[in-house]
Amino acid sequence: MIKKIYLIGNPNVGKSVVFSRLTGVHVISSNYPGTTVEFIKGYLALGDEKIEVVDLPGTYSLEPSSSAEKVAVSLLKEHPKNEIVIINVIDSTNLERNLLLTLQLIEEGFPTIACLNMCDDAVHRGVHIDIKKLEEILHIPVISTCAVTGVGIKLLIERIKDAAHVSRDKLPHEERWKEIGRIIEQVQHLEHRHHRLREMLEDASVRPLTGFVMASGVIYVSFRIVRFIGESIINKITDPIFYGTIQPLLEKLTLHWQEKSFLFHLLIGDLVNGKIDFKQSLGVLTTAPYIEFGMVLPYVISFYLVLSLLEDIGYLPRLAILLDNLLHRLGLHGYAIIPVLLGFGCNVPGILSTRVLESKRERFIASTIISIGVPCVPLQAMIVGLLGVFGGFYVGGVYLVLFCIILILGLILNRVLPGYSPEFLIEIPPYRFPPLAILAKKLYFRVQGFLFEAVPIVLIGVLVINILLYFKLFDIVTGIFAPVIHGLFDLPKEAIVALAIGFLRKDVAVGMLAPLGLSAKQLFIATTLLAISFPCVATFIVLWKELGVKDLIKSTLIMITISIIVGTALNFIILR
Amino acid sequence: MKKVSLVHLKPDHKGKILEIMGGTGLQNRLMSMGIYVGKEITKLSYIGLRGPVVIRVGRSVLALGHGMATKIIVETE
Repeated sequence: MIKKIYLIGNPNVGKSVVFSRLTGVHVISSNYPGTTVEFIKGYLALGDEKIEVVDLPGTYSLEPSSSAEKVAVSLLKEHPKNEIVIINVIDSTNLERNLLLTLQLIEEGFPTIACLNMCDDAVHRGVHIDIKKLEEILHIPVISTCAVTGVGIKLLIERIKDAAHVSRDKLPHEERWKEIGRIIEQVQHLEHRHHRLREMLEDASVRPLTGFVMASGVIYVSFRIVRFIGESIINKITDPIFYGTIQPLLEKLTLHWQEKSFLFHLLIGDLVNGKIDFKQSLGVLTTAPYIEFGMVLPYVISFYLVLSLLEDIGYLPRLAILLDNLLHRLGLHGYAIIPVLLGFGCNVPGILSTRVLESKRERFIASTIISIGVPCVPLQAMIVGLLGVFGGFYVGGVYLVLFCIILILGLILNRVLPGYSPEFLIEIPPYRFPPLAILAKKLYFRVQGFLFEAVPIVLIGVLVINILLYFKLFDIVTGIFAPVIHGLFDLPKEAIVALAIGFLRKDVAVGMLAPLGLSAKQLFIATTLLAISFPCVATFIVLWKELGVKDLIKSTLIMITISIIVGTALNFIILR
Repeated sequence: MKKVSLVHLKPDHKGKILEIMGGTGLQNRLMSMGIYVGKEITKLSYIGLRGPVVIRVGRSVLALGHGMATKIIVETE
């Protein structure tokens, strides 16, 4: 009686893609080790039954070394061995290294079925595996699959019932590797291939000189593409819709409404020079949708398109190697660049993915740095949209300030926090070129995720803010904080409302600054403060869950201190 | 035959692992990734300035932090 199916395998062998094929549940998969940091559940219909399938984070052996690996190994012990089946997903291009875990699973008595994934890539690289022979040697079902295209998945499902307990002596690791060497000799045949362009690029990207040249190129080009696509969507699609269709429509609908009425204030907001101004009116039907669809969404699309492409090609771990040096000084190692890059999209997945880091110390440093110094796409899009009006110089300035904060904060935390950070040990995946359909699907799910999370909060948020503003309920709060915000940061007291809204959503918060008529310097300080100070509520909850209450408080105190120091310094020293 | 650490092995040279001078934690971690005494590796690059070392083991490419690389001693020609 099978109660559960577990997908287990080395990092970056495509477990999540197999999982999506089996259950129909979409999960984000990428070409680097450690995309899945939690276990994910889904169901597979097998005959008349629905069986739970669990996708586990990758692990090299049954002795875990990171917190993501611990999750994988501990879950395996939850059920009696005769009630579960393990699908051991294997990278066919690297059978030897993958077999260690396979042998361990069999030795431990788990009913196992081996799924030799990425069979197409293996053929490309001249790796031929005798599946029948491997089955005879291991005494477990072995199926060759290519989960990205779906080849072999049907056969895999059919053979799940054949998985059974096999008795095999437990070996020490050294003996196991020798045994694997003997197995490989019998089942694997390598065709000699000349170095091709792909391999040459793979090598060049990890060598110091060519590596840094390539990295600068990749970062520069990515940045240009994100801007180009984002601006194109705004200029060619969203702005024409908002200004050409929605604005005349709204003006017609509200022609006879009283401008100072409660409803008008809620839905349309304040008119600027007698007209609706999407950036400044601040109504539920004007500024709220314009912020999300007209300013933020275009950049969410362009950012995730480029990030997904870099992820799937397998470039990010190479960037990690080159940055290891620098990040080591901040108490992290090179791989921390991946959570940081994800954090630039949204801080929540960024902080979640710090689980690929081994120690609690590293995870604290990385999470704190992300929540303070890494602005998410919605915030960045708004900064570009509003501050960019004064010139790119100011936008660049915000990034420079944030970058300096990350460096200084990391250096200090690395000095002050007890313990040391472990070293970097990762596998560098080969370059792969994802089918466009897979890339499009990933982008679709990320954009959908953004819309589901952001739009309701923004609409309800703007509604509530407008009610509070109408009844002048903010005045009490602004009165209390006015001396601080005016004295230290030279901001008008109304800006306190925007800073407070930052806790709800950063994009709306920047939007609240628009009608205040701030100078370039004031807007610079206010947006920088929004980036540094309190993370939005979603990030806050994740920080709490991942770090625990004590570290959350520590992290928050650091945040407040830095906000006050940086805001004051910018006001009195740097931007005088 | 020379004995050198992974940091000092020249790029594009092969070496056979003689000794891993680390605790059992490190030994096991490396072992599970296929790096153990007696295994032949090829060094691909060293980033320099105490950066990581990149090696090829079997069909995988691995990057190791500088400190870890100094603890792995290989025998080379």
